[in-house]
Amino acid sequence: MGWFVFLPLVLPLTAWPIARLAEQHLHPRAATRLLTGVAAVMAICSTVCLALVMVVGTAQLPGNPLPDGWSDPEVRAAVPYDEVAGKAAIPALCVVLVACGRTLWRHVTVRRRAHRALTGMPGTEVAVLPDEAPYAYALPGGRRDRVVVTTALLDCLEPAERRALFAHERAHLAARHHRFLLAVRLAARANPFLRPLSTAVAYTAERWADEDAARTVGSRRIVARAIGKAALVSRGTPVATLAGFAAPGPVPRRVAALLGPAPAGRSWPSVFTTAGLAAWGAAAGTAVSAMSSANSAVTMYFILHAATPF
Amino acid sequence: MTDHRQGPRRRGHGELEALVLSALHGAEGPATAGWVQERLGGELAYTTVITILTRLLAKGAVTRERAGRSFAWTPASDQAGLAAHKMRKVLDAESDRGAVLASFVTGLGPDDERLLRELLGQSRAERAD
Repeated sequence: MGWFVFLPLVLPLTAWPIARLAEQHLHPRAATRLLTGVAAVMAICSTVCLALVMVVGTAQLPGNPLPDGWSDPEVRAAVPYDEVAGKAAIPALCVVLVACGRTLWRHVTVRRRAHRALTGMPGTEVAVLPDEAPYAYALPGGRRDRVVVTTALLDCLEPAERRALFAHERAHLAARHHRFLLAVRLAARANPFLRPLSTAVAYTAERWADEDAARTVGSRRIVARAIGKAALVSRGTPVATLAGFAAPGPVPRRVAALLGPAPAGRSWPSVFTTAGLAAWGAAAGTAVSAMSSANSAVTMYFILHAATPF
Repeated sequence: MTDHRQGPRRRGHGELEALVLSALHGAEGPATAGWVQERLGGELAYTTVITILTRLLAKGAVTRERAGRSFAWTPASDQAGLAAHKMRKVLDAESDRGAVLASFVTGLGPDDERLLRELLGQSRAERAD
């Protein structure tokens, strides 16, 4: 097994180039699916390998409930630096499990609370709340998917822009974007190297909904104006960035993308472009990650099987 | 199972609040808790009605004034106002709003506002052409 067991922990780095380039070079739909798929596979592989190293680590501890044979020198020889790596893997896996559990729990409770807040409102798809805070979002699940929007936000939009807003939120619900977002968030908890993919998917999912909305209302410009106006009225919460280094935030990038030409429907870029190389690099990284974690799991199974006296 | 012992169907707080508020809306002028209880067909205990009215008072959905030895209650907001109040609480409790609910727009960075105004101005100028 050797070094293979550590590879999936660092292979997420191979997906960084495509996480950066996908936004400009891939259709948002393709980018969201590709990045989520890569992140999910890499997160699973990385967690499997962490668990394998942890088994070797816990076998060394006195009084562990594992079979005695598992602490054989032969088993420990399977993992390089087994003493350090094995012991480090125990808290690491605990942190991963707790972080993933918390993310999942928060996701479920916030959604349930939001649905409960709407009790007593008419059961229509769109719930308009009288509130001076301008906000809008898609609320999946519950008895039915809903779009929540406040009067403050609707008041600042013209009728065509309101249609764009509703089309955007409905696109989120129809394409089940919350599942992609939850998957990448869990992946980023499982391996911090996957965080850039999580940020990238949060952006590409919005772009995907923007493009769908543009097709529904038949004008990219109207969607751009709706986003721009909504962002300007709700600008009360600045994001934490360093003023000097701030690259344009997601909202101006979305508006600029909508004012530009529509993205090509072609889903996979040619190998001979930077984006193509980056996409193939990420695909290769994912494949290697899957193979080395599978290899490590099988090897570990045979070693432990041989070391268990039955 | 505790749920079975407490009645045919246990209702959540939100549902009861909505029920009491809509009953209060049916009243002509201020109404007492007893009136609300009667209006709801006596399916809720008097103390439950009082508890729910007090909770609605804390949320600013009803007001009350003394009428003799008890209170007379008046609705201050409708169902939508109550829902807006509750939704704000859900969102405020969420330190990182974008973390769970994908909102239509996220916050703007320091230079974003200027950039956005430029982009929108440019789009308006092109439209005028």
